[in-house]
Amino acid sequence: MKITELFKQGEFVISAEVGPPKGCHADELIEDAKKYLTNVHAINVTDNQSSVMRLGSLAVCKALKDAGFNPIFQMTCRDRNRLALQSDLLSAAMFGIDNVLALTGDHTFIGDHPQAKPVFDLDSASLLYTMCQLEQGKDLAGLDLVGEAPSFAKGAVVSPCSDSVDAQLVKMERKIAAGAEFFQTQAVFDSEQFIKFMEKAKQFGKPVQLGIIIPKSVGMCRFMNGNVAGVSIPESIFDELKADKEKTKAGITGIEIAARIIRECKPYCQGVHIMTLGWEDKIPALLEQAGI
Amino acid sequence: MNYPKFVLKDKAELEALLADKDNLFVVSCNKCFKEIETTEEPESAEFIQLATEQGKKITGSVQIDFLCNSVLTEKKLADVIPEGTEYIVTIACGLGIQTVAAQKNIPIVAATNSLNYIGHHGMALTNKTCGACAQCYLNLTGGICPIVDCTKSLLNGQCGGAKNGKCEIDPKKDCAWENIYQRLEKQGRQQEFIDQPIQLRDYSKINHKVITEYVKAVRENRLEGFYGGVHPAERKEFTEHVALQRFPEPEEVVIPTSMHVGAPATPIVAVGDHVKVGQKIAEASAFISANVHSSVSGTVTAVEPRLHSNGKEVVSIVIKSDGKNEVHESVQPAGKSLDELTKEEIVEIVKEKGITGMGGAGFPTYVKLMPGKPIDYVLINGSECEPLLTADHRALLEFTDEILFGLKAIMKAVDAPKGIIVIENNKPDAIEAMKAKIEGIDNLEVCEAATQYPQGAEKMIIKRAVKRQVPSGKLPADVGCVVSNISTAIAISDAIQKGMPLVERIVTITGERMLRRANYIVKIGTNVQDLIDYCGGTTGEDVTIKMGGPMMGAVLTNTEVPVIKGTNGIIAVPTDHTQEVACIKCGRCVDVCPMELAPLNFAKYVDEGNAQALLDANIMDCFQCRCCEYICSSKIPLVTKIGVGKTMVMEMKKKC
Amino acid sequence: MLMTTLKSREAIASLVDGKAFIINCHGCKEVGFPEAEANELEKELCDAGKVTGIMTTDYVCNPENFKLRLKAYIPQIEEADVILVLSCGVGVQTVAEIFEDKKVCAACDTIELPGYQGVTALEVDCDQCGECFLNMTGGICPITACSKSLVNGPCGGTKEGKCEVDSNMECGWERIYRRLEAQGRLDVLKCPTKLHDFSTVKATGACKQSE
Repeated sequence: MKITELFKQGEFVISAEVGPPKGCHADELIEDAKKYLTNVHAINVTDNQSSVMRLGSLAVCKALKDAGFNPIFQMTCRDRNRLALQSDLLSAAMFGIDNVLALTGDHTFIGDHPQAKPVFDLDSASLLYTMCQLEQGKDLAGLDLVGEAPSFAKGAVVSPCSDSVDAQLVKMERKIAAGAEFFQTQAVFDSEQFIKFMEKAKQFGKPVQLGIIIPKSVGMCRFMNGNVAGVSIPESIFDELKADKEKTKAGITGIEIAARIIRECKPYCQGVHIMTLGWEDKIPALLEQAGI
Repeated sequence: MNYPKFVLKDKAELEALLADKDNLFVVSCNKCFKEIETTEEPESAEFIQLATEQGKKITGSVQIDFLCNSVLTEKKLADVIPEGTEYIVTIACGLGIQTVAAQKNIPIVAATNSLNYIGHHGMALTNKTCGACAQCYLNLTGGICPIVDCTKSLLNGQCGGAKNGKCEIDPKKDCAWENIYQRLEKQGRQQEFIDQPIQLRDYSKINHKVITEYVKAVRENRLEGFYGGVHPAERKEFTEHVALQRFPEPEEVVIPTSMHVGAPATPIVAVGDHVKVGQKIAEASAFISANVHSSVSGTVTAVEPRLHSNGKEVVSIVIKSDGKNEVHESVQPAGKSLDELTKEEIVEIVKEKGITGMGGAGFPTYVKLMPGKPIDYVLINGSECEPLLTADHRALLEFTDEILFGLKAIMKAVDAPKGIIVIENNKPDAIEAMKAKIEGIDNLEVCEAATQYPQGAEKMIIKRAVKRQVPSGKLPADVGCVVSNISTAIAISDAIQKGMPLVERIVTITGERMLRRANYIVKIGTNVQDLIDYCGGTTGEDVTIKMGGPMMGAVLTNTEVPVIKGTNGIIAVPTDHTQEVACIKCGRCVDVCPMELAPLNFAKYVDEGNAQALLDANIMDCFQCRCCEYICSSKIPLVTKIGVGKTMVMEMKKKC
Repeated sequence: MLMTTLKSREAIASLVDGKAFIINCHGCKEVGFPEAEANELEKELCDAGKVTGIMTTDYVCNPENFKLRLKAYIPQIEEADVILVLSCGVGVQTVAEIFEDKKVCAACDTIELPGYQGVTALEVDCDQCGECFLNMTGGICPITACSKSLVNGPCGGTKEGKCEVDSNMECGWERIYRRLEAQGRLDVLKCPTKLHDFSTVKATGACKQSE
């Protein structure tokens, strides 16, 4: 079902994110979902995340849907031109997959196939616009679609802790103008920064899901600070992780930190989006501690 | 054939674009890579008409050649945009628009769309294009480009879309892969192609970092020193390590009375007179003129017009040497130290001893030593930027003390507080030697200059060494500088310390076609052919002999001419067979002109006979360094045309 | 504007099957010809007795002149099994067309540089996309200044203002944002969603070709 319906109902919408494997078997992924992700409203499926080639997002969405989950189909513009993107949107609609998150996508240069031709025929904003066109029964060329038009819950992303927040807000506005109905954010580690961002973003009146990554270790946080765009982890979190190594290793510290951020930010947002990075098993504990 | 880079946006789009804007200044580019049928392009007028019809106020407009040349564009836009301008409408390709946008803080309006012509053509307009894919495939395809010529840029053979040998996208276009097959078949290389591994294009080959760093380096290098210039192959290794030798005594010397800029000297000897080394044989006849002295002892056998290296007959004094080299009694050291000599005495010695600029032009040096203006710097020009020549390089190594003495003498004469010896960084040994010599001397300095032709030109060297710009029509003294050549400094030293006039100089004999190459100290008046013969003559066919370097040297069609005061080299190089083709407006001549002129327009105006346009385009600023002709992709004899143009301008001025 | 880089030694060695005649094009030398490496390579090939002759010229792509200059080298070219051309792709294709029956090989790869051939390399570039976006971007080209050529604003990949592809490259959209902000024109970004029209490129390209 469309997660926009949930926002309308006033739900605090919880979604989690899974990354398809590099291979053609999704059984394990489905099993894990059944074990750990029964308490979330929807599951994002990444699309060749970080420009690393993997099993397709659409196929995994279909498998999740068949297993009774509500998938969010992530689409990047890196690997497909406008024909393929529109065609895959129609395919998703045929499968009843109606949540789509539009992203520009990382450049091919930073992934495992740097030799590949990056496409970027469309970008995140124009992909949202494309969905609106399809919903009106037209394709980008202005030609009519046969039969009932598809309908999507159209999502987009924004980085509240980016070092260029103003440029991000401009882009957010453009995405809304292009048709975005809800937003998921890049991982937030600094509640204050997020709250400040939301004060500016709330004028747009679109639901925003707080992005959460459970910090696994000092090394992981350092790496993200140095390499992941839009992520900035404050020193205090490093101190917490350093305090008790065993506790950190077991994931307890990370869950505490993530749960606290959720609690602090909850009044300012309409949901939470958890990027598990392999720690799907920690989700039940996190949700419990966060009180959602 | 034209490659228009941009078109005006259509009327409706422009109207919408201008709807909320007014007070427009219009900057337009005169386009490139096209036939140069007109110097101003029509889009500017079209736009202004459209905007005016819409009731917009145009605050002004300017049409600029090569708008993307940021250095020149910045100067041209410096003070043309009037107060009250709200928008700059730019009519150009994206390069030009961005160049303007980056320079002014006034918002720009792009009134054009840039066009793509698929791939890249080369310097000259041809049908060949290159996609610059960074992984050339021409080796697999018999030299036909699959990236550009195949619509789908396929690498592993034909798609199924060709019909009658034509592409599915455009029935007028040949299927590239059919052409490739045919070419390979002709060469019997089909199997070689079939055996190639499957080709996968690698889009990561185009590395941003490499490109941005390269561009940065090029631009930094570009703006260091002076604008423009070129880097011809140096080929100095032939002679740069060959020590100076004295050229054997000539049997006869032919000494022209005109080896300098200005009036010829008047002979003061007659046939039959016996003369000695250093004896004055012709006397300066005007303010801008120079004395001439004998380089041998012997008998005057003729005073008559003889062929000069400039191709004209010039009154010359022919002396048969007695081989004794007796020195004339006038050759006496000044007898005073530099400190004791007055300014006037130094100028008088330089004048009396017939010293002229020895870098080529031959301006009487004593005139330069009376600038009548305060002088801050004396620059000794050791750049020797001409390829092949090494005379100054050897002098720097072997006459270091004399050069310094000459420099100090000039500084004294013009009251300059500071002396700078400018040496290009392709002569590290000379830089080192000179630095060692001036160590501890406060007011002397060695300026190491990155190699760039024509650094040795006065205006360039001033810009490089002291960052001052000599304005159009002005002289170095106007910006507080006096520039002297290396050999001139040595001549001044000899004149003061030994009393010896300018009777000999260093000449580099070199070039690909010269059998033996060397640096000689040669007596003025020595026959050029004798020099060549002594070096074993020339080799191979197609030889061009030049007096001077390959860039500014004069072609010698007849080598039976004498070495003169300005002869720094005799070179034998392969003749270049070229054919002039039409200008394609590639803009490279503008890019390299150190005087920031537009040589392509000179060629056009000369062909049209438009002297006023030549004058307006500052043709008289050109000092014929030949950078434009060197770089010209159409092989237009620009220097010759500019010479004609200057004559046209001078005749026009005479008439007025 | 183009820049040439020498292919690897191994790649060039594998091309020279038998004897080679070498053509160097210094026409664009002012904008980057690997002269030192080329000289070294040529010396090696000469020492190995694999070279019938070397010709150094400018503007191979100006065929009228090139053919005139070629005359002196015809015997050496006839003697060679392969013509090795050190030039951009245009030069190689020009030679290949003149010597259709000969194996003509490229010893260089050609890289595109910002700006045109006629001028010194520029810091700005134009992709000749045929639908100028500079009006909405304060005169900074999103097609060339953004590594993804995005036309609706930045992606999420900037880190400290630098592009995710290359930390030496400033994020084009941040530059655009700053320029517009400085001019008080951020409103121009409120225009409708832009779609990059790639057909424009094709249409104008084809029309240029047929001219």
